[in-house]
Amino acid sequence: MRSSDAVHKPLIRISGLRKIYWEGDQNHTVLDGITEEFYGGEFVCLHGKSGSGKSSLLNLIAGIDAPSDGDILIQTPDDEIALNRLTERERTLFRRDHIGFVFQFFNLIPTLTVVENVSLPLNLMGKRDAHKSAASLLDAVGLGERTNTYPDKLSGGEQQRVAIARALVHNPRFLLADEPTGNLDAETGESVLSLLLRLTRAAGKTLVMATHATEIAERADRVFHIDGGKLNLQKG
Amino acid sequence: MVLLRLAWGGVWRRPLQSLFFIVGVSIGVAMIIAIDLANSSANRAFTLSTDAVVGKATHQIVGGPSGVEEGVYLRIRRELGYRNSAPIIEGYVKVKSLDGQPMRLLGVESFAERPFREELGTAKMTGLNQTSFSAFMAEPNTALIGANVSDEYRLAIGESLEIQVGSYHHKLRIVDVIASEDRRIRRSLKDLLVTDIATAQEVFDRIGKLERIDLILPDDPSNTVALKRIESVLPPGARIESSDARRGAVIEMTKAFRLNLTALSLLALVVGMFLIYNTVSFSVIQRRAVIGRLRAIGMTRREVFAMILAEAAVLGVAGALLGVGLGIVLSRGAIGMVTTSINDLFFVSNVSEIDITSLTLLKGVLLGIVAAAIGALIPAYEATRVSPVSTLQRSAIESRTRRSLRWISIGGVAALSLGASMLLPEWHLGLTFLGVLAVLVGVALLTPAFMRGCAALAGTRWLRRRLPILGNMAIRDIDRALSRTSTAVAALMIAVSVIVGVSVMIGSFRMTVERWLTDLLGADIFISPPAIANSQMGSRLDPDALKLFETFPGIAQVATARSVEVDADGMGRITLSAITRDIAGEKRHYKSAVGNHAETWNAFQAGGLIVNEPLATRYQRSIGDTIILLTDKGENPFEIVGVAYDYDVRPGVMMSDAVYRSYWDDPHLSSAALFVKLGVDVDEKIVELKSVLAGKLDLIIRSNRALRANALGVFDRTFSIFVALQMLSAVVAFIGVLSALMSLQLERTREIGALRSIGITRGQLAKLTLLETGLMGAIAGVIAMPTGLVLATILIYIINLRSFGWTLQMQLQPSQFSLAFVVALISALLASIYPAWRMGQMQPAEALRTE
Repeated sequence: MRSSDAVHKPLIRISGLRKIYWEGDQNHTVLDGITEEFYGGEFVCLHGKSGSGKSSLLNLIAGIDAPSDGDILIQTPDDEIALNRLTERERTLFRRDHIGFVFQFFNLIPTLTVVENVSLPLNLMGKRDAHKSAASLLDAVGLGERTNTYPDKLSGGEQQRVAIARALVHNPRFLLADEPTGNLDAETGESVLSLLLRLTRAAGKTLVMATHATEIAERADRVFHIDGGKLNLQKG
Repeated sequence: MVLLRLAWGGVWRRPLQSLFFIVGVSIGVAMIIAIDLANSSANRAFTLSTDAVVGKATHQIVGGPSGVEEGVYLRIRRELGYRNSAPIIEGYVKVKSLDGQPMRLLGVESFAERPFREELGTAKMTGLNQTSFSAFMAEPNTALIGANVSDEYRLAIGESLEIQVGSYHHKLRIVDVIASEDRRIRRSLKDLLVTDIATAQEVFDRIGKLERIDLILPDDPSNTVALKRIESVLPPGARIESSDARRGAVIEMTKAFRLNLTALSLLALVVGMFLIYNTVSFSVIQRRAVIGRLRAIGMTRREVFAMILAEAAVLGVAGALLGVGLGIVLSRGAIGMVTTSINDLFFVSNVSEIDITSLTLLKGVLLGIVAAAIGALIPAYEATRVSPVSTLQRSAIESRTRRSLRWISIGGVAALSLGASMLLPEWHLGLTFLGVLAVLVGVALLTPAFMRGCAALAGTRWLRRRLPILGNMAIRDIDRALSRTSTAVAALMIAVSVIVGVSVMIGSFRMTVERWLTDLLGADIFISPPAIANSQMGSRLDPDALKLFETFPGIAQVATARSVEVDADGMGRITLSAITRDIAGEKRHYKSAVGNHAETWNAFQAGGLIVNEPLATRYQRSIGDTIILLTDKGENPFEIVGVAYDYDVRPGVMMSDAVYRSYWDDPHLSSAALFVKLGVDVDEKIVELKSVLAGKLDLIIRSNRALRANALGVFDRTFSIFVALQMLSAVVAFIGVLSALMSLQLERTREIGALRSIGITRGQLAKLTLLETGLMGAIAGVIAMPTGLVLATILIYIINLRSFGWTLQMQLQPSQFSLAFVVALISALLASIYPAWRMGQMQPAEALRTE
């Protein structure tokens, strides 16, 4: 359910958003003038076929990709930021401060231990108590005993839990997840999803998730179907 | 065909990596070709020029420093009736109107020439128009020049050439030009002036003497009879030798020098092999999925192996062909350097053309392809391990590298032991160089273990906690890709250790020579006639000049020297310096001597020889042994009373002037050394001497300091080519690091995307790359320092001693080592600039999409 305090206050506003990929002379429009708002504390699901543009939309909201056209406005405690007008460095710093990202293939850094992976965003920000914060979050995701293990020694579910801890360690306002259970078996996927929802809902964070899975969509506040570059509200 | 197409596709898919591969091979091949062309051109120029003047002569009658009496020729021709004989005067002159270039002046007797040098065109002299033939025969100071020289310098018949021999100047009138259809002959004519024998005798101040008498002896049993008959009329100071032996002996002189150059020219290709390994290894990793699919549809392991090798061969051929072009370009610079060194150290040689022989080019191309194939062997084998069902992961290769680390290290120790065992016995110099290569390969094989050790140290919990996160990541990234990073580090290490080794050797050598010169050059002023090259022997000092010096105000003493070449039994031509006093005095350092300085000097004056170290080493002679020299009074044994340190490349002996004059009929002097009276300013005295001699005698008058500077200038010139070669190897190593970084980066694209998505800035990424490469450079530098020291020790105490017979004192300067470390670090950091920039340009979203 949508949290009541967030109903009237959109944290992400996108308008006329277009994303066109070029391959030689050929272009392919994946997002075609999307306009939508996402609210604080809500869990939004982006549903659609492979290649429909779910990941592209997440990447644009995270600022790891730039739109071909349109605006992405993000409400921060101090200001409203037009993400598409930021410089590359500003977008990076914005991501570092406000966004947590969970990937389908975990994307943990293989040369770093579990605790180092989790503390990495804080370390990059120059925070002093990074190790401590990471360790406590690892406790929260049930991996307090594996802090000094390397990612390749963990199961898929454990790796995704580390990735979730890494995405949340710097206390971002938004969590973006791209098929976070897509690479896990059903049971592990369910446990990871539960963990993700528990941690985001408890902290009142906005979670935008791209997924194929209808059972996940059922648990979302709102569900959008992406098709033909358009965003169609299915639920909510 | 399909294999080739697959290989070709592999090449095009990674243009930058392929380019690095090609550049690595091409520089390696270019260095080999440049040095080989320079060496062979210098040899060929000498051989052609010698062939032209030797002609069809099978034997030569030669004498001592003064030559052979003219009467010997007349006896052979008249008394023995031996018509196939021709008198020759030959020497180098400086021709002012030909830009001061050295030309070989050949004085001939035209009537005797026909059987000898027909191809040279002298036969055509009989076909010259009557006027020019008469002029050549009858008029003094007339000469013939080659048509190509006449065309190049626009010299017409009737014009004069001003030539210089030592202090003396002469004018020769051109009476005709010699042309030839044969390219070889045309080339040999480029540095040849032909005069009548009488003119040549006058030019070289050899009236009544001949340089040699050329003979054509039948190639049958009657040869021995003819030889005996001719020998019976020879005076004691003359002897017959075969033309080939004499020619071979001169070429032999430069052999060690050329071999040293060739060995260093191979270095870039050795370093390039590491680069090749990395590139091919990367190609295999990147295409592991494709290889897996190919295996699944039935490609055999052998075919996979062939495909990867074909890919390396395609790039190897491209690199080698490019290297051929580059080598030819570089050879133009190399030939200048080699010729300068040969002129400075060995003999006068005028190399005007590069001889591009197909053999050299083929050798370069083959070596390039072989190096490419060897570098590709291990990755190609790795490719065959890709199973059809599971793809070969980078981590699998790294795990395998780690598992085989022990064997790699054992291989390293074995290579080191092999190297040491090849270095210790006094085998052929080529094998000694192979020993050096084995030592370098040994250290390279130990590099991964060293790097693992460093990573393990940095990985200790204590250190890990204290290092910043980027530092931790950098160390572990290097360790994670050990198979790749250790190869780049090893290549850089080899290049840098060679820089350290060669710098220490050159530094030690220079300092040893500098000290030696300081001790040796005890006089204040040195005077000699101008020479065409530093190596030219036999120039003559005007006797009037000597008289002037002896009576010149402010001069306390005059020492003289006569420097000539003489025949020594079993050694061929060696240099002989006959001296009136030892200008080094008690500062002359003997490696061994019959007693203290005074005792040795007494023994020397009593007829003993002081031999230089190159002679003692090369011919295994020590004090008490005798050397038989061919004097004008016949062969005479001389006892060795001292072995002196000397840094000449040529074996030589020193003899008392009085003893020399008693055995050789040679009244001339080569140089003088003056000692000024106390309180006299040397520089002022030189100015006075020069002003007195101005316009009368052309002499080189130098202070002790200037002569030393000149000698050190020769030294620096000689080593400039070695420095250039090692720098090119460092360039290849640099490309190796660049290539390794680029491939590591490509492999980590997705990881970099993840890092960017969680907020790592471009600056932090650049810092990470710089840290990684900085660490790689630092490790290479750290290993290169002791390796360089070992290499320097080998170069100083083994290679130099065996090549040239020099004892050098090793001089270690901290700057040489710190500089090497800085070179390794900076080249690694420079190599990281482009990858760091590229990494920053990478779009996180695109990077994350990368499989």
